[in-house]
Amino acid sequence: MTREISVELQKVSKLYGQDKVVDEVSFTVEKGEVFVMIGPSGCGKTTTLKMINQLIPHSSGNILVNGTDVAELDVVELRRSIGYVIQYIGLLPHLTIQENIAFVLKLTKHPKKMQKDRAEELIETVGLPLNYLNRYPRELSGGQQQRVGVARALAANPDILLMDEPFGAVDPLTREQLQNELLRLQESIQKTIVFVTHDMQEAFKVGNRIGILRQGKLVCLGTPMEIVKSDDEFVKNFIGQGALFEVFDTIPVTRVLQKDFPTARYDQKVDLQAEELEDWENVFIIDSDDSCKGYIPLSSLNSDGSYTADQIIPLPKASSPDISVKLAVQEMLWGGRTWLPIVDEKSGFKGIVQFRSCAGLVAGDRR
Amino acid sequence: MEGVIGFFQYFWDIREMVFVLTVRHAWMALAGVALGTLTAVPIGILISRKPRAGNVVIDLAGMLYTIPSLALLGFLLPFMGLGWLPTITALVIYSWLPVLRNTVTGILGVDPAAKEAAKGMGATPYQLLINVELPMALPVIMAAIRTVAVLTVGITVMGALVGARGLGELIFQGISMMNNWTILAGTIPVSIMALLFDYLLGRLERRLKVVTSSA
Repeated sequence: MTREISVELQKVSKLYGQDKVVDEVSFTVEKGEVFVMIGPSGCGKTTTLKMINQLIPHSSGNILVNGTDVAELDVVELRRSIGYVIQYIGLLPHLTIQENIAFVLKLTKHPKKMQKDRAEELIETVGLPLNYLNRYPRELSGGQQQRVGVARALAANPDILLMDEPFGAVDPLTREQLQNELLRLQESIQKTIVFVTHDMQEAFKVGNRIGILRQGKLVCLGTPMEIVKSDDEFVKNFIGQGALFEVFDTIPVTRVLQKDFPTARYDQKVDLQAEELEDWENVFIIDSDDSCKGYIPLSSLNSDGSYTADQIIPLPKASSPDISVKLAVQEMLWGGRTWLPIVDEKSGFKGIVQFRSCAGLVAGDRR
Repeated sequence: MEGVIGFFQYFWDIREMVFVLTVRHAWMALAGVALGTLTAVPIGILISRKPRAGNVVIDLAGMLYTIPSLALLGFLLPFMGLGWLPTITALVIYSWLPVLRNTVTGILGVDPAAKEAAKGMGATPYQLLINVELPMALPVIMAAIRTVAVLTVGITVMGALVGARGLGELIFQGISMMNNWTILAGTIPVSIMALLFDYLLGRLERRLKVVTSSA
């Protein structure tokens, strides 16, 4: 399957005098992907980002945006076609929120009416009340201002968004909230996002793929799981020891949820020859109304597969399908079990998560 | 008490002359401020792009600023003759330093994040100047213009010495005749004019803020 490539860097370097701050960096960002660049300060991540919209011109190499070399594009047109969000937000204090959001549309001389409509649409997209449009930036909190910053970047409906530590200047609680909102928003808008951060947890959370930079060089590139499994000493040190759990925290439990598990109708014998019993230690007893009555360890069944009602052990406390793999593993550890039932409040029993499948995520035999 | 009434009586007697001189004084001062601003703001914008070369220009304006007004008028006299021309020229020269300096300070002081965001969104250098730099530097530039306006009304008084015919004529006449009433008849309108200019420019500043924020 070939996927469309939105941004491509080919051996891009940036020199300041003799200093090579970005050293032959190459990567591609697929359409609709969130690509995170991370590294210690001074590693060149922000410089690399700013070369994409040519706020900083590159010294050598090629930068392709939607297949066209940026050297062949007018920088103003290029920037107008790419959304840009920065850490210090940079709202214009003398303009209202509406004028701030519609700023690009004003630059491109779109009609006033359209500017207003678009601002109204976008302020709702980022979850702020409509009456904020007439306020001034100073009247908003930092988190609210950055939402306006995101809305502003979306005004011209660009395919690509560049985000330079967008949530770096807000408190941790607001940051988490903004990250969640970005993920929720991304589900509906499906933009290509190049995201710079120095926070590994944030990288794991928002990134589909992560590139780690060190002294201007791209030292590691891959999905969060691939990054965690890297053997590189620098990468290991940089991401820290608890990183696997942070990655697990970003994977929904539904990825490892098994909907097929061995069941038996209540009052019926368990067919011990059934193939589905392979790899399982328990069989789950289903009542006539399709609800799960509980489970019986295979080892405690009679040799012909029969059992009595008092052998049925009630299901342990179930978890919701909204949790992450990290939480699921934690629940298993608390319960002293290697599996966890998942129950949706509305639609009932969803399936079983086994510790083995979680471990399989790391081994890579299940995605 | 008698003195006060006497002064008003005197003022009423010469009201026509005071009126003519006030109008002349006002337009010379206004022309000085206007021309000074119109020259200094664009130069200030230019030199804010090249701060090192800019320092030379500001130092030059600073040197001109230190010349006593009487000496400057005397220096301009051979080139420009008598009347309003050397006076207004002197006013323009005195307005340069404050307006230049504040224009540069104002533009360099614009929040770098705001500039970067605007540039990143594809503002051309001109759009950046009009939509971001000038509006954000406006309060600092206006502060200089208001200072200059008050200063200029005062310096215009000196113009009377080169025949510019402002309210300075009454003041110098009063001094030479040792007539306090004549001095007051020139000084009071000068003071009121200075306050009025400052007030009006303050209102203009608020108006401009509204305009730039709704454009």
